[in-house]
Amino acid sequence: MVMKKPKANLNGFSTGTEIVFHVILAVFALACIIPFLFVVIISFTSEESIRAIGYSFVPQSWSLQAYDYVFAMGGALWRSYFNSFLITVIGTVASVAICVLYSYPLFRKDFKYRNFFNYFSFITMIFGGGLIPTVVICKTVLGLNDNYAALIIPMLFSPFNIIVMRTFFQTSVPMELIEAATIDGSGEYSTLTRIVLPIVKPGIATIALLNALAFWNEWFLSLLYLNKNMDIMPLQYLLMRMQRNADFLAKNASILGADAAKAVRELPSQTLKMALVVFIVLPISCAYPFFQRYVVAGLTIGSVKG
Amino acid sequence: MKKFLALFLALVMMLGCIGIASAEELPTITIMFHGSNVTDDTAVLEKVNEYIADKVGAKLEVIWGTWGDFDQKAADALLMADETVDMVFTCSWSANEYNTFAKNGYFVKLDDLIAEYGADLVAAIPEALMQAATIEGSEGKGIYAINGYKDVATQNCWDVNVTLLNELGYTLDDFKAMDFYSFGELFAKAKEVKGDSFYPFLIEPMVLERMVTNSIIVAGDSGSTNLLSLYLNPEDVSADGAYGNVLLNKFATPEYQKFVEKMHEYYEAGYVDPALAVAETSNDTRTAAQLSANYLIGTQSYALGYEYTASAERGIEVAFVPCTDPYVDTTASQGAMVAINSASNYPVESFKFLALLNSDPYLMTLLNYGVEGIHYTKNADGLIEFTEARGTYTPWTNGMGNVTILPDTAAEGAGFRKTFVEFYGGAKGIPSLGFVFNNTDVSNEMAALSNVAAQYALALDAGAVDPATVLPEFLAALDAAGMQTYLDAANAQLNAYLGK
Amino acid sequence: MRAVTGTQTSQSRKTAMAGARFQKNFWLLTMVLPGAIWLLLLRYLPMFGVVLAFKNYRAHKPNTFWNNIVKSDWVGLENFKFLNSPDTTIMIRNTLAYNALWIVLGLVIAVSFAVMLSELRSRFTAKVYQTMMFFPYFLSWVVASYFVLAFLDPTSGMIPAIQKSMGAKVTNFYHDKTWWPLILTLSNLWKNVGYSTVLYLAAITGIDRTQYEAAAVDGATKWQQIWHVTLPNIRTMIIILLIMNVGKIFNADFGLFYNVPQNSGTLYPVTQVIDTYVYRAYANTRNIGMSSAAGLLQSVVGCICILATNAIVKKIDPESTLF
Repeated sequence: MVMKKPKANLNGFSTGTEIVFHVILAVFALACIIPFLFVVIISFTSEESIRAIGYSFVPQSWSLQAYDYVFAMGGALWRSYFNSFLITVIGTVASVAICVLYSYPLFRKDFKYRNFFNYFSFITMIFGGGLIPTVVICKTVLGLNDNYAALIIPMLFSPFNIIVMRTFFQTSVPMELIEAATIDGSGEYSTLTRIVLPIVKPGIATIALLNALAFWNEWFLSLLYLNKNMDIMPLQYLLMRMQRNADFLAKNASILGADAAKAVRELPSQTLKMALVVFIVLPISCAYPFFQRYVVAGLTIGSVKG
Repeated sequence: MKKFLALFLALVMMLGCIGIASAEELPTITIMFHGSNVTDDTAVLEKVNEYIADKVGAKLEVIWGTWGDFDQKAADALLMADETVDMVFTCSWSANEYNTFAKNGYFVKLDDLIAEYGADLVAAIPEALMQAATIEGSEGKGIYAINGYKDVATQNCWDVNVTLLNELGYTLDDFKAMDFYSFGELFAKAKEVKGDSFYPFLIEPMVLERMVTNSIIVAGDSGSTNLLSLYLNPEDVSADGAYGNVLLNKFATPEYQKFVEKMHEYYEAGYVDPALAVAETSNDTRTAAQLSANYLIGTQSYALGYEYTASAERGIEVAFVPCTDPYVDTTASQGAMVAINSASNYPVESFKFLALLNSDPYLMTLLNYGVEGIHYTKNADGLIEFTEARGTYTPWTNGMGNVTILPDTAAEGAGFRKTFVEFYGGAKGIPSLGFVFNNTDVSNEMAALSNVAAQYALALDAGAVDPATVLPEFLAALDAAGMQTYLDAANAQLNAYLGK
Repeated sequence: MRAVTGTQTSQSRKTAMAGARFQKNFWLLTMVLPGAIWLLLLRYLPMFGVVLAFKNYRAHKPNTFWNNIVKSDWVGLENFKFLNSPDTTIMIRNTLAYNALWIVLGLVIAVSFAVMLSELRSRFTAKVYQTMMFFPYFLSWVVASYFVLAFLDPTSGMIPAIQKSMGAKVTNFYHDKTWWPLILTLSNLWKNVGYSTVLYLAAITGIDRTQYEAAAVDGATKWQQIWHVTLPNIRTMIIILLIMNVGKIFNADFGLFYNVPQNSGTLYPVTQVIDTYVYRAYANTRNIGMSSAAGLLQSVVGCICILATNAIVKKIDPESTLF
């Protein structure tokens, strides 16, 4: 059963109030994307224009120079692009599966070890062993070294998402539904997949989106676990490395002298970095409407219970 | 859901298997370099491994650390006792790694290995550099890293755009007669001719401060922002400076005050680009201004022959006017070294490799310039000319070891390495050469002080803030953070070192 | 529905129920398993690292990580001495004040936006707003710092360029700390509000429509419906997000405080937080003991905050507590 919106019949807001809502939301929504448009414009701005009038929404002259440089990076750029996609896709699927599987029993009030596993996950949000001990375990015990696994496994689980997902279960799945299914002789896995998951689709879409973003934006794991096999480096790390090189050379220019001057010259210019930012942001802005549609599709189903 | 789970488990297992390495007969030794720009090392390592199989008895692998990542990667590898990293670049200037790590037992003491396998190495590296690497480490006084023979002397220079200088009606000799405090007239003239958006003074603020006050970097001092000053004698770098061999609070001297006051005057007059006062944006700004010759006077830590490169690149006549003779201090003499990780399973093979690298021109050339016919060719005069493939293989030359055994390149010109040895070999040491401040006992103070200094120093040095109000505030903050304790510890150690 | 026949004794019924219960718990356990193994390996195993906070870690012979930990000397609270610096009050004040302000602002704004979005008559417009609002959350702080730089850069930034062209005095943003509490707050809201809005919106759309219908039949205005239906229904979500944010009140968003102000020293009085201080100190001294100590301290304070909030919530609304 699907209910159609709008539902203005339920004593809706006056038109005046709605206009105020529109204005507030529109201003904020515009503020959210204008900086990105600005960076896109800068990436197409010629160096001369920047020197003359600074960054501007209406540059004096345009140039594709920054993109020429980006494309000149050739193989390295596309490979890291591919890596980012691969890591994001595998990571998102795996982490959503783990998250749903872990949080569903925690929502089941009749699960005997519910409390234990609740705390088991929650405690790690607050206490940790610190960076170095974690890396040592990952490298020596789990063999996370110079492989894709090293860029995925450390991010597979998030206690925060467990709590969010559990809340989704709590707010949208009535216990009676599960009890009824159990009485009908449905196994636990089939109850979860056939009955519960369709109801919490919005929750899953939300968690999937959050995880996809986390994987897409991750660069620190590459710094920690990639030493020799740079072929599997993601795009975000490529950009971060340029940033870190620039920082370091700025700090140590005096000691490195001419070496630094030479190295700095090989660094990309500000417009080139802006162009890379465009490259990083573009795929997510394309992927998001898909998620968004999914969220909305899930919502209409989720709005009806029983 | 079961299918889903099975699929997932299979996936995890699959990913886990990728990492498993196959067994080799020869042990693999791994070295981690700094500042590399290497994307394809297959051809080079193939040749290297062919060459070192008998001589070293191991296969080489390289971790090409980049400028931004090396510090973190190297420190992580050492702190977590990563046995897969056998050798690691180290130095005294980047967070003071050599001295601290040697002191805390992370590096193998090399004296015995040098005595047994190091005859060629000892012959190839000057005695002075061996001396500079000799420190008080975890197993007593000794050598804990092999010191590369590179540009070991420091010489700070004014980087002068002679073309523009002449245009303004001055000669290079006119300029040489001036000093920092009398540049004002020159800048005003430049501003008048080139327009208001022209910034004549293109500086690295921290370098400028040392140039003007004739102070040096004290090895072991806070790496990010120096706190200590030791004043040189600008007339004779090997003699004591105005204050003698005493370490001073860099920011509390009259010289410093005079410097920042003048700098603020220049900044307010619009002689300095404000972007230079922000560390993160200064690089882009400086490089852009240099390449477009959009400056009059700059600062440059000199490297032999750099004026030719700079002139060619910028399309103007560039001259470097030195402030002092070149001098050798601890920072520069421990500028690029390679140490053996004490967690390594193959210290002997690693040492043999390092000894060979520093004494064998073939190996050094191969690892540094790449494979002949791929990364470079030799021209009619026997000079090296790089090919396009060099773009995929550009290690940091000075970070690798003994660069004096490299052949001359066409860009440097014939005889460059010979001149190099003469220039740097002839440089004089400062009186406190070899002194390294061991900051272990005052590391909490240092952490606090370096944060305070990072807050104020760059803006003051660049002239961006008014010293009349900011400097007293800064000094008070330093005192509150324990500057006196830090200073006393440093001076006690220096006195002990000098045998006072 | 499988009927229980009258011929079964109560004994065998009990056994059957126990068997079913065992089966249920077993299958639910297998669901928890992948996550539990992950937690065990990647979170619990490394927890031995906490001892580093009380040790003077250094290399020993033979040089392995385990051996170094075992053999390094206990130093008591020595590693916590970094707190004994004049910066301590500043960084703690900044961390707490920004976090407290942002928790409140973030909550109020995100809930308001979610309610507004859910009430818009045009679903399409609501979707467009939502899409745009969530956009900044995609971006890492490194990327966001370029956006800020595009506006504030002292030579090419848009604002200084406008000031220059109008002949006004150019604000040197990266050396002028007046503006940064505002810039940081705006940056934080800009990046995170969309995300919380989506979470709340998902919760709101999950609310049973019949509740609104019932309220409408009773003559409740839209405002009353929001107050009596919407808010109580998303209360659990609000409280849980609140508790978790309070738990992180001692942890700052590193990228925001480090990348966005371009690591400019002059701004430390308003941008220095515990995370950036420890990072900078660690980069200078490579002292694992100190960074472990700082991490432990953040954990303990976070734990206390969460327990306290949870206790307060328990008093007010026992249903919504985290545990």
